Amino acid sequence: MSGEAGNPNTSRELWVKFAAARDPSLRDQLVTENLGLARRLAHRFTQRGQPYDDLAQVASIALIKAVDRYDPERNVKFSTFATGTIIGELKRHFRDRGWSVRAPRRIQELYLELGATIESLGHGLGRSPMVSELAKATGASEEEIVEAIEAGQGYRSASLDAPDAAGATLGDSLATEDAAITLVDERSVLEPALASLPARNRVIMRLRFIDGLSQCDIASQVGISQMHVSRLLATSLSQLREAFTADL
Amino acid sequence: MSDVVELTIPVRSDLLVLARLTAAALASRADFGIEDIEDLRLVVEELCLSVVGNETDGTIHLQYTREDGLITVGCSLSREGGSDGRTDGRADGEANAMSLRIIEALVDEYGENMVADRRQAWIRKRRSKVAS
Repeated sequence: MSGEAGNPNTSRELWVKFAAARDPSLRDQLVTENLGLARRLAHRFTQRGQPYDDLAQVASIALIKAVDRYDPERNVKFSTFATGTIIGELKRHFRDRGWSVRAPRRIQELYLELGATIESLGHGLGRSPMVSELAKATGASEEEIVEAIEAGQGYRSASLDAPDAAGATLGDSLATEDAAITLVDERSVLEPALASLPARNRVIMRLRFIDGLSQCDIASQVGISQMHVSRLLATSLSQLREAFTADL
Repeated sequence: MSDVVELTIPVRSDLLVLARLTAAALASRADFGIEDIEDLRLVVEELCLSVVGNETDGTIHLQYTREDGLITVGCSLSREGGSDGRTDGRADGEANAMSLRIIEALVDEYGENMVADRRQAWIRKRRSKVAS
């Protein structure tokens, strides 16, 4: 078992080859070889009240995006590039859906409001909004914004807790997972699940999670309504989730 | 001109919130974008975990420096002599490798130095250019 979170056996030659040809089979190979990284990062966020399977799914889709966007000519390791991409997607997932920490109702509501506000302000500004801008948009104070982010995204502080009765810490359990078993598991689940989606759903999934298009942009590109895009995405994600749930 | 804020907390998971909040508050006042602030929060926690490792006793020392568009955070651990006789702290092994991978992905610079006979891990994160 390797301690590396990315796959150290993925050669630079393979990345260069994929960058030049964009061969789908090479892409599949690169994705499956690096699924261990996605899984380990998903584990990092499991103390925040979201099911691991959901997080693994978000991380896996982010990994696909990272594989497609990675440029081997830039002087950055794939694992570094992918880690940033996957964490970004996991953060967005929590912004949209995560709520597990007890906090005053006002702060809970503010956190939920922040997800949409960050998205809309970000689109308008063309950059990540500042706390002062979020405060102005929501009518909250800057301190409340910072508090809401903290309350909503507590991350994994439980990992500092004392060892369990067997003397193992959470960090121990994460670090000893067998990466080879993980890889075989996810390869056998994710690939058929994606392949089983109707062609249009696959295209829409790709546009949304790999190319990063909004639902509205996808709707105009594919020629259907935004509501229809939303339904197809929900159906596709549900199918992938079922595949994970049934087989993991 | 720079502002320096120092924080010491016991090695307790429920108090790491203070380390994250301090980072977020300083970055907010340095006009960092929300994505950068969220990254900084994750990094500060990983920094603490990388320094603390499996220790359950001791004191985490954090030093935050805010300069124009730049936040630097240093983190070290002191303890009353651990099982290996060391009085500083640093996690080893795979868990630490993952922490360092996350830190590397989310900051501009990171490294280690010695501060008051303790090994200190530090990171630097600049405000994204688009947010300035």
